[in-house]
Amino acid sequence: MAPSSFSSVILVLSALQGPGTRLSYRIRVVEPAAVTPRVLASGAVSGPLDSDMRLTLRTDTAEVEALFQVTPFGDTVTIAGEFLTRRLVGRSRRGLPLWEEDTYRRQVRMPWSDTARIYPFGTGKLGQGGSPWVELILEREFAGGEARPAEAFDLVDSTRDVRLEAVVRPRRARVILNLVRGDTVSAPRGIDLIPDEPPRLIQLVLKGRATTLVVSLTRPDPARSARDRALARDADVVCLRVGPPDALQPLGTICGRLNNVARQLPLPTGDTLSATFAWPGPR
Amino acid sequence: MAGADNTHEQWLAQIDAELDGELSLVERAALAKHLATCGHCAGARASQLEVRVALARSAGNPHAFVVPRPAIRAGTLALWVAVALAAGLVGGWVANHRWGGPGGGAPLEETRGTIVVQ
Repeated sequence: MAPSSFSSVILVLSALQGPGTRLSYRIRVVEPAAVTPRVLASGAVSGPLDSDMRLTLRTDTAEVEALFQVTPFGDTVTIAGEFLTRRLVGRSRRGLPLWEEDTYRRQVRMPWSDTARIYPFGTGKLGQGGSPWVELILEREFAGGEARPAEAFDLVDSTRDVRLEAVVRPRRARVILNLVRGDTVSAPRGIDLIPDEPPRLIQLVLKGRATTLVVSLTRPDPARSARDRALARDADVVCLRVGPPDALQPLGTICGRLNNVARQLPLPTGDTLSATFAWPGPR
Repeated sequence: MAGADNTHEQWLAQIDAELDGELSLVERAALAKHLATCGHCAGARASQLEVRVALARSAGNPHAFVVPRPAIRAGTLALWVAVALAAGLVGGWVANHRWGGPGGGAPLEETRGTIVVQ
C-alpha cells in the first residue's frame, strides 16, 4: 500500500473511532423569491460519525429522496449523496400520471463547517429559476458516549413537503423482554445487545414459572427493493433470534425498529414473548 | 409511349385519352410537342373537342364550354397518398425522437441534482 493511501486509511479510521465524536448536518431549505430568498425549513440531524441523513423534498411534479453520507479526511470531509428522483412527465392516454425515475450519485469534498449548496432539482433553467435549494453545513463536535441520533426540524412553510431524518445503524440496542399469558405479564427484563455477538442466556419468570431462552441480536436481511436499500430504510431495524437453551433450532426471530412498538413471538409453552427495541443509554 | 415510332393512330388515341383526362403530365407534354409540329393531329384534336362540346351541350351540361380537367388516375393517386403517408410517418418519428414524448425537454444532466461548495 502506498504511504499516502496508508495515511488516508489511518486518518479515516482515527476519525471514525475518535472518542465521542458527533457529527451534525445543519440544513436550510431555501426558495428563491423576488427580493430575498425565503427559508422554507431549517433543521439539524446529529449522531455518531457514521450517521447518514435522509432528505425528502416533494412538489406536485417532482420528488427527490437523497441519502447523504460523509467520509472525514483530516480537516476536510467528503459528502456523497445517493439521489432517487421522480419527475412527472405527462399523462397516459387514460389520464394517469407518468413518472420518470432517475438514480444517480453526487459527491464533493469540502472543509468542515463550510456550506455546500445542494440543488435537488438540478442547476438548469428550471432548477435555478424557481426551485428550492438546500444549504448544508457539516460540523463535528465532541460528546462523550452519546450514540443516539437526534433530529430537530422547523418547517416554516407547512404547505411544503420537506422531511429530514437521521439514518444511524445502531451498534448496540436495548431490548426489553416480557412474557405474556392472558392478562398476566412478567416483570420486564432489559438487556443491552450488540448485533452479531454470541447468544446470551436470559430467564423470565411468569406466575412463578421460569422460562430460559437464548437470545442474540442480528441485522435484518437486505431490503428487497433497490430503492429501500439505496435509502437505507431499514438502518434502524434489528432482529432478535430466540431459541431454547438446549436446542440449535431457533424458536423464531422478531424484527423491529428502535423506539417503536413491541413485537411478539408465540412460544411453544403457550406464553408470548414480547420484545421492545430501543436506543441504548449513554455509556 | 411518345416514341419516334408512334403511328398516327396512336397519337389519335393519345388525343382521346388526353381529352378524357387520363394522361400524365409527361404524356401530355409529349402530345403537346407533337401537336405543335403535326397539323393533322392538331386538327383532329380540335374536331374531337368540338364534337365533345356539342355532345355535352346537347346533354344539357351547363359547363360544356369548359375543357374537362385532367382527372388523376387511381394508380397515381394511390402512389401519392402512399408517399404522403410515408413522409408524415417519417417526419412524425423524427420530430417525436427530437422534441416529443414524455420526458422530453431539458437535458437529463440539467434536471439532476448537484452539490456545490460555496
